[in-house]
Amino acid sequence: MAETTERASVRRLDGASVIDMPAHIDISSETALSGAYSEAAGKEALLLNFTGTEFINSSGIALIVGIMARARKEGRVIAAYGLSPHYREIFEITRLADFIGLYPDEQAAVAGRT
Amino acid sequence: MGRVSPERVLDRFELPSVAGNERQAMERVAASIGGLGLPARRLERLKTAVAEATMNAIEHGNRGRADLPVRIEVGALSGAVIVRITDHGDGRKIPEATTPDLEAKLAGLQTPRGWGLFLIKNMVDEMRVTGDERHHTMELVMRLQGGTDGGDD
Repeated sequence: MAETTERASVRRLDGASVIDMPAHIDISSETALSGAYSEAAGKEALLLNFTGTEFINSSGIALIVGIMARARKEGRVIAAYGLSPHYREIFEITRLADFIGLYPDEQAAVAGRT
Repeated sequence: MGRVSPERVLDRFELPSVAGNERQAMERVAASIGGLGLPARRLERLKTAVAEATMNAIEHGNRGRADLPVRIEVGALSGAVIVRITDHGDGRKIPEATTPDLEAKLAGLQTPRGWGLFLIKNMVDEMRVTGDERHHTMELVMRLQGGTDGGDD
């Protein structure tokens, strides 16, 4: 079972920055995600790890869109992995999936970034 | 021709208008319909819709006033679950659910927010809003089996 946390943490992996997303992504995640993005500043690919995420609401979608907008402005490649089938469906319905690469796991995301 | 079975109330409860209570609402609704056989994927969609509708009631209908409760009723008809979420909205109309302009949001031309009603509408089979000068009720209908949901478990 994946470890879950309300924090967002940042790590470097094979020339990419990985943000391990919180268990619950809602309006209370704003400070954590903004801080994580700043900590992950750079030009390398940005990977959002949703493996430990159990809940995302519309405010959480807005925060993810905000991260995608910042990455786009900075010309960064951005991808996501570890979404449950339900939240993958939500990424498709909202069309976020059209603008962010979706991968099943970390290995595929690292291999798939260009 | 068979008779239409009357609606059966499975649960009825109230929650204070406090941010975060939407998760409690969705878990309690899920528990109340546990015996109906709603497929897992449809249950996840209903949970998301209930959480969004409850958050909408807390933030907009009741303006975050903890002393104003959100009332939730869960019912079952033959072949469907109905969830009604009522707040103390003062007659202001809940806007139509429109499709957000993601390109404009990513370009920084629009706020990244504004996904709630769109999500609700796309998660359930029917979404209806009724109200009077003192209350709004959002009614969510989810059929137990979806004819076009190939991804259902």
